[in-house]
Amino acid sequence: MTSDDMKKRAESAKEKQAQYGEDIDLDNYEYAVSEPSEIESIDDVSPEDQSLVREVGFDTSQENVSGSFIQFDTESILADVLLTQEGLEVLPMSQALKQYDWLKEYLWKAVPVDVDKYTARSELEIYNGYFIRAKAGTKIAMPVQSCLIMKKNQTVQNVHNIIIAEEGSELHIINGCATPSNVEQSLHLGVTEFYVKKNAQLTFTMVHRWSEKTDVRPRSAAIVEENGTYISSYALLSPLKSIQTFPKVRLFGSGAKSDLYSIVYGSKKSKYDIGGLLSLEAPRTSGKVISRSIATDSSEIIARGDLVGLSGQTKARLECDGLLISDSAVIRAVPMLAAHAEGAELSHEATVGKVGAEQLNYLMSRGLNEEEATSLIIRGFVKLKVPGLPPALQSSIDDAIKMSLEGGM
Amino acid sequence: MCGNLLETRDLRVEVNGVPILGGVDLEFKPGLVYAILGPNASGKSTLAKTIMGLPEYKITGGDILYNNESILRKTITERAQLGIAYAFQTPPSISGVKLDDFICRICPDYQCKAESDTLMGETCASKNDLYDNFERLGIRNLAKRDLNDGFSGGESKRSELFQVLSMRPKIMFLDEPDSGLDYDSLKVVGRELRTLREKGDTTLVIISHHRYVLEFLEVDKVYILQQGRLVYTGDMSDIPALEEKGYEKFLSEVIG
Ligand SMILES: Nc1ncnc2c1ncn2[C@@H]1O[C@H](COP(=O)(O)OP(=O)(O)O)[C@@H](O)[C@H]1O
Ligand SMILES: [Mg+2]
Repeated sequence: MTSDDMKKRAESAKEKQAQYGEDIDLDNYEYAVSEPSEIESIDDVSPEDQSLVREVGFDTSQENVSGSFIQFDTESILADVLLTQEGLEVLPMSQALKQYDWLKEYLWKAVPVDVDKYTARSELEIYNGYFIRAKAGTKIAMPVQSCLIMKKNQTVQNVHNIIIAEEGSELHIINGCATPSNVEQSLHLGVTEFYVKKNAQLTFTMVHRWSEKTDVRPRSAAIVEENGTYISSYALLSPLKSIQTFPKVRLFGSGAKSDLYSIVYGSKKSKYDIGGLLSLEAPRTSGKVISRSIATDSSEIIARGDLVGLSGQTKARLECDGLLISDSAVIRAVPMLAAHAEGAELSHEATVGKVGAEQLNYLMSRGLNEEEATSLIIRGFVKLKVPGLPPALQSSIDDAIKMSLEGGM
Repeated sequence: MCGNLLETRDLRVEVNGVPILGGVDLEFKPGLVYAILGPNASGKSTLAKTIMGLPEYKITGGDILYNNESILRKTITERAQLGIAYAFQTPPSISGVKLDDFICRICPDYQCKAESDTLMGETCASKNDLYDNFERLGIRNLAKRDLNDGFSGGESKRSELFQVLSMRPKIMFLDEPDSGLDYDSLKVVGRELRTLREKGDTTLVIISHHRYVLEFLEVDKVYILQQGRLVYTGDMSDIPALEEKGYEKFLSEVIG
């Protein structure tokens, strides 16, 4: 599709409301007016900003990573690859599009541009983001870290990312997003498209910390080819104004696999509408959608999971568990299963409830007081173990969870 | 006055409005070993859970005294801290809480510092003790598992026993600690309890249907409950006859 066609399709969807989530008036925000400038090195990032990115797990020493990317609003960008890391590319999207003509084919391929007004608007305004690619056969053991920071008031951070794990490659990305708490009202539009080629493995770990005035509308999707594996884990532990996201993974080639994990710690008056869809399109594809939600204060959490079995010999499972800590909070678990082919084995389990009296009494009989017992149950509940994740990334998740529990309880 | 560690006086208990215990008087002295026996549904577990303070067991009359003071107003936690422990028959599973961490948490002896996942490869003397004890109980495989999650019947028994032992209580109620155990595990449990008895500073109250552990431990006193009442008080010498005749015949002979 030419870029004119793309713009036309985007125009046509400009007013199209999203399937889920509260509607946002996109004209209330300012958009970038020029292409972002480049930051030469991490040393040029101010100490305050360095500590901000560290909060979402960014390693400013860059010792244990293979590459780094930071974007402030839609204004300035740092992109860096360890010199010794062969087969890895980390580029600002604007540069990558100039450099690689073929990359256009990947734009809006996994996420259709006309999904809703957010994708449409993202296309129509100036955007940037990252392009990360592991070349065929390369195993990038250390993670690539990427970080998106929003500092400006009343603005939109418009991000479009593309990640490609070429055939037989292995790539691990950790993505942190943050807004400092003094930011007035802002909107994050983040489009991320993942392409996992034959026999490739991609893990994508997100640790996000938004501000109470930020609305977040990520739009992401993945296409996984034959025997490829895509593991996504999302830890969202801070309050925010609202988030609505429903990433879709297409298991396109036979033997493709995908697990989507999320942990949401809801607080204040935040509204979370978070889901995940696995589309099993070829034989022997499989996966899991696992979500844990904890709702405190007056937060509202909707946890959606959708399994679509389009081919036989497929297997997928949905687990939605919610723990309600406050009487004014709400959790809704919405499991959806749709089998369109014989031999699509889909299952789900959803639980939503308060801390169980039986568990509390049991722990109290071992000498813990009620508060200690409750806290132990909550801490246990929020532990999210992601099989297949490198230990360093698992500990980023663990640390973030620990930090937010210590802050919140 | 008479040196009881714990006693129940005319204890009446109901569950969901249904009377279960209809006035039970029992005495437990420091350092002795007791067996509470009786047919299914006679109220043995109810008695132990009521003493532990579990809220669904509502006391409608009588009293529970610990060192001659009523504990009816005490919370479960307070009772546990006083030295009362109960090993559950079917403990609930708690996800994300590893058994070894939990035992560290409840036992004064194991100084296990923070969570084990931050302690990779780190060893300290007490942690080694902990693992020796896991080994001895034959449940080393459970150490890193979530508390009670998918434990088999026999594993559960030994994990409960380990936890309760770790708390160093003054009196422990073991609810069928021997059911579902194979011969080897039975021996392990027997040996643990025997050691405890020899130390002599814990009162053991064992609810059981089996002869093996009771005889191996040489219980001092046997209480038999029937339909929520104490119907017989005896000692170890009654156990063979009980096993041979069954509760119905045995009780009809001794109480007529
Ligand atoms: N939580 C409960 N809810 C309803 N009934 C109960 C509960 N606990 C005990 N009971 C009833 O009380 C009676 C005594 O039970 P229990 O004390 O468990 O007997 P035992 O341990 O001697 O086999 C049984 O009839 C049982 O069904
Ligand atoms: Mg019982």
